[in-house]
Amino acid sequence: MLYSADMNAKLNVPGEIFMGNKEYSWKMDWRVNGWLFVATMISGFTDIIFRHVASQLPLAARAGIQVAEFLALALWARSLARWIGGMDEMHRRITVSAALFAVSATFFVLMLWHRMDAVGFFDSIFGVPKAPGSWDICTVCHGFLLMTLFYFLGHTVFNRRYR
Amino acid sequence: MKNRLRELRSAKQWSQSDLAEKLGVSRQTINAIETEKYDPSLPLAFKVARLFKLQIEQIFESE
Repeated sequence: MLYSADMNAKLNVPGEIFMGNKEYSWKMDWRVNGWLFVATMISGFTDIIFRHVASQLPLAARAGIQVAEFLALALWARSLARWIGGMDEMHRRITVSAALFAVSATFFVLMLWHRMDAVGFFDSIFGVPKAPGSWDICTVCHGFLLMTLFYFLGHTVFNRRYR
Repeated sequence: MKNRLRELRSAKQWSQSDLAEKLGVSRQTINAIETEKYDPSLPLAFKVARLFKLQIEQIFESE
């Protein structure tokens, strides 16, 4: 089994990590998304504080900081899998479908955006950005934002199917 | 898939929540099965059949 017994004293439902939902529980949200928060903190810390001193740090330290973020993301994926595993079969199906939709839609949009940017589509609409800028959004941060948006969209659509 | 879940549940005078608890699923899942919007997995169909002491085909009927 993917999930632990303590997480399954009661069935998990998707709404318990949707802020504003009547089923929302900050406790469960923290248990599911705590490692994502840690990863975000590490990422922000790396980008803001270490940016200026990174080049002076030894290679092992630089690599360690980067790996720490992805380790936190891996742990987040594990808690997410446990949470999904603790749902009943219908909610698990909805959540997995929404997640699959989010990943594929994000990949599709990022690829399309990148190609459109490469042919100068956005330059012709918004103007050429200040050097060395670009309208390209192929970054981890944009990817995460898009994936979250598509997850909520996918979840709303798939959830409606069973109502 | 057509089913007699609502009829069987009503005969026992159980609420959707009661049945959900007995089957280890959410109330929404029971509602979705009863309204024929969701087809249960085979293990869940067996659980339902065992709970009502019936054969699966006496509860679920393929269209």
